[in-house]
Amino acid sequence: MSTTLLWWGLAALTLAGAAVVLLTREMMRMIIGLGAFLLGIAGLYAWFGFGLLAVAELFVYVGGVLVLFLLAITAMGRDSDSRAIARHFDIGAAVICAGLAVALVLALQGLLPASGPVAGVTVEKTADALLGAWLPQFEIAGVVLLAGLAAALAIVQGGDDE
Amino acid sequence: MSLLRSAPYLVVLVPLIVAAALAAGIRVWGRASAWVALLGPLTLLAVGVASLGGRTSGSLTWLRVGERAMVVGYNTDALAAVMLVVVGVVAACVMVFSIGYMHDDKGYVRYYALLSLFTAAMAGLVIAADLVSLFVAWELVGACSFLLIGFWYEKPSAAEAARKAFMVTRVGDAALLLGMAVLWRATGSLDLAVVLGKAGSMAPAVVTAAAICVLLGAMGKSAQFPLHMWLPDAMEGPTPVSALIHAATMVAAGVFLIARVWPLFAAAPAAREMALVVGTITALGAATVALAQRDIKKVLAWSTISQLGFMFAALGAGAWPVAIFHLVTHAAFKALLFLTAGSVIHGSGTQDLREMGGLAKRMPLTAACWIAGAVSLAGIPPAAGFFSKDEVVASVMHASPWAGVALFAASALTAAYAARTTRLAFFGASRGEKPAHESPWTMLGPLVLLAVGALVLGAVGAPLLSALGAESEPLSLPIAGTAVVLALMGAALGWRSARPEAAAQELSDTWRSLTRAAFSGWGVDAFVTRFVVRPTTAIARATDAMGDRLLIDGIAEGVASLASRVGGLFAEVQSGDGQWYAALMATGVVLFIAAAVWLVR
Amino acid sequence: MTTLVLACVIVAAGLYGVLSRRDLVAVLASVEVMLGGASLLLVAYAAAGAAPAAGQGYALFVLAVGAAEAAVGIALLVSLVRRGRSRTDQIREVRG
Repeated sequence: MSTTLLWWGLAALTLAGAAVVLLTREMMRMIIGLGAFLLGIAGLYAWFGFGLLAVAELFVYVGGVLVLFLLAITAMGRDSDSRAIARHFDIGAAVICAGLAVALVLALQGLLPASGPVAGVTVEKTADALLGAWLPQFEIAGVVLLAGLAAALAIVQGGDDE
Repeated sequence: MSLLRSAPYLVVLVPLIVAAALAAGIRVWGRASAWVALLGPLTLLAVGVASLGGRTSGSLTWLRVGERAMVVGYNTDALAAVMLVVVGVVAACVMVFSIGYMHDDKGYVRYYALLSLFTAAMAGLVIAADLVSLFVAWELVGACSFLLIGFWYEKPSAAEAARKAFMVTRVGDAALLLGMAVLWRATGSLDLAVVLGKAGSMAPAVVTAAAICVLLGAMGKSAQFPLHMWLPDAMEGPTPVSALIHAATMVAAGVFLIARVWPLFAAAPAAREMALVVGTITALGAATVALAQRDIKKVLAWSTISQLGFMFAALGAGAWPVAIFHLVTHAAFKALLFLTAGSVIHGSGTQDLREMGGLAKRMPLTAACWIAGAVSLAGIPPAAGFFSKDEVVASVMHASPWAGVALFAASALTAAYAARTTRLAFFGASRGEKPAHESPWTMLGPLVLLAVGALVLGAVGAPLLSALGAESEPLSLPIAGTAVVLALMGAALGWRSARPEAAAQELSDTWRSLTRAAFSGWGVDAFVTRFVVRPTTAIARATDAMGDRLLIDGIAEGVASLASRVGGLFAEVQSGDGQWYAALMATGVVLFIAAAVWLVR
Repeated sequence: MTTLVLACVIVAAGLYGVLSRRDLVAVLASVEVMLGGASLLLVAYAAAGAAPAAGQGYALFVLAVGAAEAAVGIALLVSLVRRGRSRTDQIREVRG
């Protein structure tokens, strides 16, 4: 019972954060919202029993990506989003998104058995998987990260030629 | 000789090829075009003479589709042979004459190309053995007439006259086509031999209908009342053209047509009566109008209409060979008169009789030729016109005394206007401004030839009539005598009316209004313009505005603007806005998933 | 089941943000939201599956790539803002 309650709480946090990200006009508030969202997601990972993942999420996203966003906003002085009152387009977009949600649910509903938290998802087992059967993917992921790093540097540096 | 007789289609081929060659090299030919063009009429003459003895018929299959074949038939019987000779001689004379007359015209080559084309069409008309070929040639003749009347197309009056000619004859052509349809329905064939063979066995109503339709077609081409208005206007064309087409050949095509399909008329007395009435009215009416004209060419135009009326009356009386005889003599003297008028115009610089006078002194040879033609026209023996006209009046008298009397009156008037015109143009004091000069030999040569013909062709009457299958009646003295007396009286009156003092005399009011009415052709032209042309034009304009512009253009442009607008709508998809693209993609995904879900359930 | 709904809603919500927000930073943030939702769904599947440990590894990959993507995205954003273009309606042309 309490797990369900916990789940609902985490879900509420996540949704609230997402809502803020979508709807607020001020950048700072959006960052806070994003932070809440990411926290909620991490909590849900943990609820499912994926401890390593939750912690990694916290470090990488909340600690890294979120700070990056914060840096971007403050360094570039973007503090609010000028926005016209809901354009027709926004309403259409909302309809599409609602449709997407429904479609996805309908499409996937038969495929997901009821799931709840699992136990015994230990770090050792994950490491065994990553460095064992999934080693190539692991290495490639590393390469991708390296490439991303290089790309980001290149983009930011180049482009002074206009 | 036998070659010519066995390949009569050459009369169409040769001038046609000449016309095409001249047209293709229109900048190249130059002066040589006249001599090349002469090949056409000379071919007609040769084949005509060669065929006078016997008859050749044959056919060319020119299209074969499986079982059925389109056959073009030709047939040179006596009638066709005579016509070929007439057309050949007159066309040749006209072509030679035009060397001098059209010498300075910049359309020289085009002129001869058109004359050649006309010759080919006329030949085709004459030797056709089935109604389809005949109709095609008929239309082609009309088209050439249009092109030649409007030869100086930059002149608006010429273009107008050409259009008018085409329109009026079109009415007749429509009737002819209708007649062809009737005959097709009744006999199942358009071959002349077949159709004419069945003429006797067709229901009277059918034959009469067909005959009347043919008659209407002939009336259009031969300028009979009420389809005559185009001929005086056609004088806008060059004078040699008037000589060839509107005196001797094309206008005679109507008479020829009726002669050609005679069995139909033999079986339809109503049609014959109509021809008689129309011909008589035309003969008399046109003669009065000719008397009141001031332009030498207009006199001759109305005279042609009148003489054709004589021919139609003869046809109506049932004596078609007599009509053909008169056709032949008329071709000779009318072409002569026109060409002589051309010489006069060339030499004196004017067409208006009021500005002429005393030309006999300055252009003696021309004057002599004119007088020969005038004598023949007036029907004074021993000129050819006397013999043929006498036969005409005699046969009409047999059929209907009233018509005969009317024709006598018309003959008197004919002599009157002939004499009047002669005196006004050639005798008396010169009223013109510049002195006139005689014409070159290229123009005089044909004149002399035709003058000889106009005088002696009376002799061919008997052999011609028997070749065509009729007996020529011996000259009946009462009729011939009356005719001569009337002609002389008419001539005297006409001569007197042209005396110099007459011009200065004040006419009484009645005479003046009569003259004016006669001058305008008794108002027929004005009547038709007001009651036929204007309403039709108004209807055409209304149809154009409502039907064509509103509906059809509306639909066409509507489709175009619809397409344009739809295209514009589609163009907005490519807006360059990333989020718009993303939204479209998302929509696509949603639809895709929905479809997948729907299909799998 | 409810996690499915939750994840789908989150993804859809993130999409709405991507489509309608006018500031580029906000769009990037919305992308992160979508990623979060997707990996939540992945986790839910893994929890119900045979080898959840491998599933965790998989989810780690997603996380790593997502972080890289965020970094590159911010780099692009910086270079655009340097040219004065920071709103979606300013980046319609493919140039520079």
